[in-house]
This record gives sequence, C-alpha cells and structure tokens, in this order.
Amino acid sequence: MTRLLLSFLLGWALLIQPAAAQNGPLRIEITEGVIEPLPFAVPDFVPDTQGAADVAREIGRVIAADLSGTGLFREIPASAHIGKVSDFAAPIQFADWKAINAQALVTGAVSVAGKRLTVRFRVWDVFSGAELGNGLQFAGTTDGWRRMAHKVADAVYSRITGEGGYFDSRVVFVSESGPKNDRKKRLAIMDYDGANVQYLTDSAAIVLAPRFSPSGDRVLYTSFETGFPRIYVLDVGKVKRRVLETREGSMSFAPRFAPDGRTVVFSLEQGGNTDIFEMDINTGKQTRLTSAPSIETAPSYSPDGRQIVFESDRSGTQQLYVMPATGGEAKRISFGQGRYGTPVWSPRGDMIAFTKQNQGRFHIGVMRTDGSEERLLTASFLDEGPTWAPNGRVIMFTRESRGAAGQATLYTVDITGRNLRPVRTPGGASDPSWSPLQN
Amino acid sequence: MQTGTKISAVAHVALLSWAFLGGAFRSDPTPFEVQDVTVISAEDYAALSGRHAAPAAAEEVTQPEAVPAPEPEIAAPEPAPEAPPPRPTTPAPEPVAAPDPAPQPVPAPEPVPEPVAEPEPAPQPEPPQPEPAQTAALIPQAPRPKPRPVERVAPEPVAPPPPEATPDPVVREEIAPAPDAAAEAEPQPATAPEEAVSEIVTEAEEGESEDTGEAVQAALAPSRSQRPAMRPARRTEATAAATPATPKPAAPASDRARTRSSVDSALSEALAGSETRAPAAAAPAGPPLSAGEKESLRVAVSACWNVGSLSSAALSTTVVVAVSLTSDGKPEVGSIRMVSSSGGDSGAAKQAFEAARRAIIRCGARGYALPADKYDHWRDIEMTFNPERMRIK
Amino acid sequence: MNTLSKVMMVGALAALAACSNAKNDGLYGDGMGGAGYGSGTAGSGLPSDPSSPAYFQQAVGDRVWFAVDQSTLGDAARATLTAQADWLTKNPDFTAVIEGHADEQGTREYNLALGARRANAAREFLISRGVVGSRLKTVSYGKERPIEICSEEACYAKNRRAVTVLSSALAG
Repeated sequence: MTRLLLSFLLGWALLIQPAAAQNGPLRIEITEGVIEPLPFAVPDFVPDTQGAADVAREIGRVIAADLSGTGLFREIPASAHIGKVSDFAAPIQFADWKAINAQALVTGAVSVAGKRLTVRFRVWDVFSGAELGNGLQFAGTTDGWRRMAHKVADAVYSRITGEGGYFDSRVVFVSESGPKNDRKKRLAIMDYDGANVQYLTDSAAIVLAPRFSPSGDRVLYTSFETGFPRIYVLDVGKVKRRVLETREGSMSFAPRFAPDGRTVVFSLEQGGNTDIFEMDINTGKQTRLTSAPSIETAPSYSPDGRQIVFESDRSGTQQLYVMPATGGEAKRISFGQGRYGTPVWSPRGDMIAFTKQNQGRFHIGVMRTDGSEERLLTASFLDEGPTWAPNGRVIMFTRESRGAAGQATLYTVDITGRNLRPVRTPGGASDPSWSPLQN
Repeated sequence: MQTGTKISAVAHVALLSWAFLGGAFRSDPTPFEVQDVTVISAEDYAALSGRHAAPAAAEEVTQPEAVPAPEPEIAAPEPAPEAPPPRPTTPAPEPVAAPDPAPQPVPAPEPVPEPVAEPEPAPQPEPPQPEPAQTAALIPQAPRPKPRPVERVAPEPVAPPPPEATPDPVVREEIAPAPDAAAEAEPQPATAPEEAVSEIVTEAEEGESEDTGEAVQAALAPSRSQRPAMRPARRTEATAAATPATPKPAAPASDRARTRSSVDSALSEALAGSETRAPAAAAPAGPPLSAGEKESLRVAVSACWNVGSLSSAALSTTVVVAVSLTSDGKPEVGSIRMVSSSGGDSGAAKQAFEAARRAIIRCGARGYALPADKYDHWRDIEMTFNPERMRIK
Repeated sequence: MNTLSKVMMVGALAALAACSNAKNDGLYGDGMGGAGYGSGTAGSGLPSDPSSPAYFQQAVGDRVWFAVDQSTLGDAARATLTAQADWLTKNPDFTAVIEGHADEQGTREYNLALGARRANAAREFLISRGVVGSRLKTVSYGKERPIEICSEEACYAKNRRAVTVLSSALAG
C-alpha cells in the first residue's frame, strides 16, 4: 500500500515537475534494467616468491572458473587483456580494464614458503575506480591451494552480489559404475566443482542418498550392507561410521539431520507401511511423527528446526506436506498437476525445492513454503533429488539419461532456472548433498 | 553357522575396521587461516588515487611488507597424513569449463554499413518474441524453434548482433576518422547491444519439443503466429510484450500508450499518462527537459543497469543516487552518491548502489545525449533505481 | 597409505573374495541379496524335481508383477502366489525373502516405500494361504535393481515386481 502511494506521489511529481520552475536536481526513475553476466577479469596473480608462478596462475584459473560457473559473471579471457598486473601493490590502470569492458577486476599475489601458501587479493569496481571491500589474505598449506582459490572466489562473489558464496564447500554423493541392472554404488565426497573426489565406502553394498550434517562433519546415508536398508552415520573426517536403526523386519531410509545436528528424521517401514520418525542420535530414543496407512517419506527440516516438509501419497498421489517438527497435523502445500516428491527446505528458509513428475517428464522446481509461486527449473527424462548450495541460490540434482545405457550425472541450476550445467565427476554420480560453507 | 562363514565374517569385520579406522579412506579438509590484508583500506586507496583511476606514479600506495602481522590460527587442525597430494602444477579435474557463449568475435576493422538501427527483432525467428499477454507459464505452449541459450535478459529482446560488433549496450556506429564533437579521434569499433531475450526461459519451459511436448504443440499449433511489427518505431510492441506493466516511454503516440494501459494496472496508467501528457500540459518549449529527452536518458541508463549479479536482498532495495554531469553529458564519478535507500539493509543498499553507480558511469562514458542548451536542468540528477520489476524475470 | 598397507589390503581383499560364494550357499534364485549373480542357481537342483528351488523358480514361478504405482495383486499374481504357498507348505525346510521392486519412473525414496508395499502384499497373501509368517521376510530395492534396463513400458512392466527368493533353512 505504501508502495502504491509512493508510486502515485512519484507519478504526480513527474507530472508537475516540468511545469514547476525546476529547482533541485532532475529526477528520473529507472525500473527496467538488464540481467546479464557481469564481465570481470582475473589477471594472473603475481608470484611473490620464486616458484610460485604456477600455483599463482592455477589459483587465478580456479577463481575465474568459480565465478563464471555461477552464470552471474563472465570472464574476459587473458587473451583480450590490454593491461597486466605485475605488482600487487601498484595502482591499477583502470583505463586498460575499462577499455575491455571489465567491470570487476580481481588482483592478487601468491607466495610459497615450504609447504606454506599465502594468497592476497583485492576486488575492484573498474568503472568507478574503487576497491570493493578491503584486501584480504588467506594462509594455508600448498595442498589446499584449491580451497584458497575457492575462499577468494567466495569473497569476490559476496562483495559483488551481496550474498554469501558457495565455492568453499563440498558435496557428498553416490558414485556409480556398471550397467543399470548391476550398478555399483559407493559414497564419495568432492569439492563442489567436482575436484578432489575421495571415496568414503567401497561398493560392496548399495548405498543411497547421503545427507550432510549441519556442520558438514558427518553424513547420514542408507546402505544395504546387511541385506536390508539401514541408516548409518559416518564421520567424514575419520570415516568412522555406525548403524543407527536396526529394528528387525523393518527398513529405515531417507534420513536427514535437524538443524541442531542431534536429531535425525527418517522413514521407517513396517509391514509394508512407511512413516516418519525422529531419533535422538546419541540416545537412540525414537518418536513417531506420522501414523497413516500411506507412504510418508523424504522429510526435511526448515532451517529453524520447527517444521518438517515431507512427501505423502495419502491423497492418492505423491504430494508435499508441511507439519510441525513434533508431528501433528500436516498441511498440503502442492496442488499443481502431477506428483511431487523429495522436498528440501532452502537454507534461507524461504523456499522448498522438489522433484515433480508430470506427463512422463521429471522436473526440479522451487516453491514458497506455503506452496505458492511454484516454478519449474528443469525438464528431462529423469531429474530428481535437489540439494541447496549453502547460499540458497543454486540447486544441484541428479539427472539420469534414458535407456539401457542410461547414466546418472549431477547438474546445477540457478534458482531462476538459468545456468543449467553438469558437474564433472569421474563416472556416474547421483544423490548429491551439498555441505555448508567450510570455515 | 558354518566355520567358513564365521571366518569370513571375522575377516570382513577385521578388514573393514582396519580400512575405516586405519585411514584407507580419509577425508579431511585442509587447514586454513584468514587474515585481512592490512596494506591499505578501500577508503585510503580511494583517497590516494583521487577517485579518478589515477594512472600516474604513486609508488608508495601499498606496502606488501605491512602484511605479516600475527596470524591468528583459525580452524587449523593438523594436516591429515593422507591428505590429497599437492598438485599445484597439474590441477585436478577442472570445474566444468562450459564454453562461454557470450564473447562475440573481437571487432573487425572493416566498416559496417548499418550495424546499428535494428535492435527490433520483429520478424526474426530467433530469439522468440513472447505474445504480449503471455505469462511465463504459457510460453511453452507456443510452438517455436528451441531458442539457443542467451545469457542476457533485457527489457527488449535483442536480435543477435552483427558478428563484427563487440557487445556494448551503447549502440554506436563505427567511427571512421571523422571525429564528432565528443572528441575521440581514433577509430572506434562498431558496437551493438548484445543479444538478449526478454525473459528467462527455463528448461522446464522450453524443453517441451523433445517428446511429450509434441502432442501439446500439435494441438496448439495455430495458436500463435508471428505478429508483424506495426511500425518501425523504437520500443514498440516488443517492449510492451516483455513488460506489460511498465510506464510507457513518452513516445508521442500517447493514444496508443493509453489504450494499452487500460489493460494494465491503474498505476501504470497514471504513470504512463502523466509522462506522456505532461509536455502537452506544461508548455513543451522552454528550458525544462521534454518527456522524450528524459525518457531517452532513462533508457540509456537502463541499458547498463545490470541487476543479474545482485543478491535477492539487493533486488528488493530501491536506491536514489545523485550524480552531476559535465556539460558534455558525462557523469562525474566523484559526484555519485547514494541519497537514500529503502527496502533493504545497509549491505543490500550498498550492493544496489554499486550496481547503479556502474550503470551511470558505464553508459555515460561517452556522454548522455542531452540538449546542451538545457544543461542547467540536467547538471544535477537524482536517479531512483527501483528493481521491483526485475526480481523474477 | 604406505605401500605395505596397500599390499596387505589387496591381499586381504583377495582372501575375502572367496567368501562371496560362501555367502550364497543357502540362497536360490536370482535374488538381489547375494553378491553372486545367477551363481545362486547352481546346485539348486533340477527343474524336474518338484521339491527343488529350480522347480519353484521355473515351474511355480518365483515372481509376480504390478501395475504402475500399485501394490494390489491381480488375478495372475494371486494364482502364482497360491502356487508358491502350496510349494512352501510342501517344502517346510525353505524360508523366503520377498524382494519388492519398482520401475525407474519414480523418486528414489518413494520407490523404496513402494517396493516394500509390494513385497508386503505378496507376503500377506502367502500368509493368508497358510505359510507361517516367520518363514517370510521382506525387503525393498526400490528402483535400484531393475531386471530389464530399457526405458520403455515393456521393461518397466517386468521391473515392477515382487520376487520370492528361497533359502534353505538347513544350509545355514
């Protein structure tokens, strides 16, 4: 209402302004802009020490790839550069960067002393000739050079966009190999961009749907190790694990941590019926949250821990519901055509991502937590299992290709639906879960 | 249980526990420290460099020596013995290096006859022009060639530019040695607005042609045909199609603006009406800027106002930015300041302001086209950047 | 990991590899529980012997199929399960795990739950025909273990199944 009033006032101001003898500045209102990737340049970082040139260049490349990969930025390649930065401390020749229309410029320097790596950088708004934020320095080991690059990229990203980055994060997923009818699956972890893949289990048993803890130190997953699906919790650092739920004659699956990191919500099947339970991970104490003769599964907490979104076919088809975290009455939030599953609450709390099946196609979509403003982001033969980037701006999911040779691949997409792109993994990959930002 | 099974079980357990506890699989993040580079603050730098990109000397701007302050060890666990091997020279799998479709070929020297005057994509098959009344949800119904991915979303769809042109929102013809008033003596490469679509089309909306979409398309086939451009005027139907709720440009055709606004909101009618009628009501001649002149300034700034990289918080923040122009229409960078902001916190306002500042400077780099005789009226400008309509495109 | 550890690990793995056959000793049929595919049918007797697991698989029929997103038993499924119940009644030395499966047209968690429904539907039916419940376990593989791998209804129809996998109570 206030906005409406303001607009009217503004319109009125526009109306009378030319008539009144103009005093004060000319006023115009801009309501239409463009949405396009912001052109930026990352000239090679300056090696401060002997032998740092290679890693300095690689760090610059990773930063540029991080930023370009968001779709919000577009790198102006080195081949187009006029200027060169050979001294981190020297003033920037902004004219050189304006000339190639670089709007943001990232400069940096790298020094290596033994195994110790130090990276300094600055971000510049080229056209106003101002620095965005202050220079920053990261120190670590040479082993961790990629992480340093991701840290720098996160800082650049947040200085330009105003929201947190997501590059210094990891993804736990299921690495797949072998034919469709005898697929080998093992848990693996990697940097968000597909680098540094490490395996957390062998492929002796089927493993499904790993989920990070809120602090990123543990992973819940489902394994057929005993012949029956059971939930395990695995310490990522030490790769120590234990089974959580071993009730005879039942299956437990679809686990997810509560924001407190102590409670786990999951599905338990008994006598063909699947319901949602929560469990204290330390005491093992369980509480039943739903009791319906229908399938209730894929629960996910809101970031404040007060609500749970889940899927149920109590209406006859898979749909999304929200209930209090303590159980109780559930409210249906999905009403569009088709079936809705695998809801995941965004880390910002304002959206829910989901898988939708309609007319033989699968979509990844987002909606408000009350089910309004549904927006489908993708469409393919089989997309499923969204997971949110730590900043709530990007979604990663599994896309499976059709047919006998079908394979699973991870993809990312911006929540506007732009910038759909595959994540490069060795072999097939499914069921991604994005970690929070590392510290 | 058979003895063999027992042995097997024991051996399995032993192997697994050895593998897990012994660190066959290990995944520790590498340790890390963070520190401000204490060399110089942004403010200091700005002060030193005199705001205007001082290209000159100033050797002592920064001192790298100032860096090694005591470094607080933030989250630095012992490096794991099994940590991934350092690979500074051969980086592990690069993140998907999706080819950047954007950069157009670099300017070719030969003159281009008229690269400019066709930002109206009217009868071209690509990029598709949405029907005026269509909402995003309806788009997939329209049969059409699958658009190739265009990274840019602008108020008006822009056809692919001539290959020789560099992307630049400021359309300008290639300047041969004939210098105009604005100074540049050296030849300027031709530029054209970068190709753009007027709305984000997600895969879910575009990908229908693959299988199930075909049936839908067949059924709907006759529902859409290319609409001929009514007239070659600038910002015509295409604009209206893309942004039905926009206050209309003050093009003299106020009758058309009014008809259209009848289906629009009352608000935009008021705005459009006021803008178009204003000059008539208040003596068009004389010193103040005409609505058309103001509109062209507005359009010029809009072309550089890129909100694509703004946070959602910044996208709900309206900022009012003051700027002073020189008499040749160029913004004085030092004069640009935020007058006020609403809708977001100071962080969001800062990002919003920075985007606005980039727009003003970038599109004003060659001087805004404003009537020189009315300089007093446009020397100081306050621009309100309201991203409300840009939030979900 | 040092070289010695690697060598030891490889050796240990090789030693354990033999165990996969041992695990299958009591399993008949191409159930998914065992590591060895198809190898379980070895030694399961001749199809001509009506008390052999091979006969159960081939003559009685060890599996039933379901409609899309359904777990109700059709007439054909009931007939097969009735025959299975008879066979199990006559051969009390065998227990069974009923494996529920779904086609790939569904989300992972939902398909696990759906497979459980199917397996349970088969189990309930067998119990209603006189098989003691304690002899029958269920497990769901969701869409993880398709039999047919094409992405057509012809394959999907064969993948939406519940398979009764025998194991010999004496073999354990």
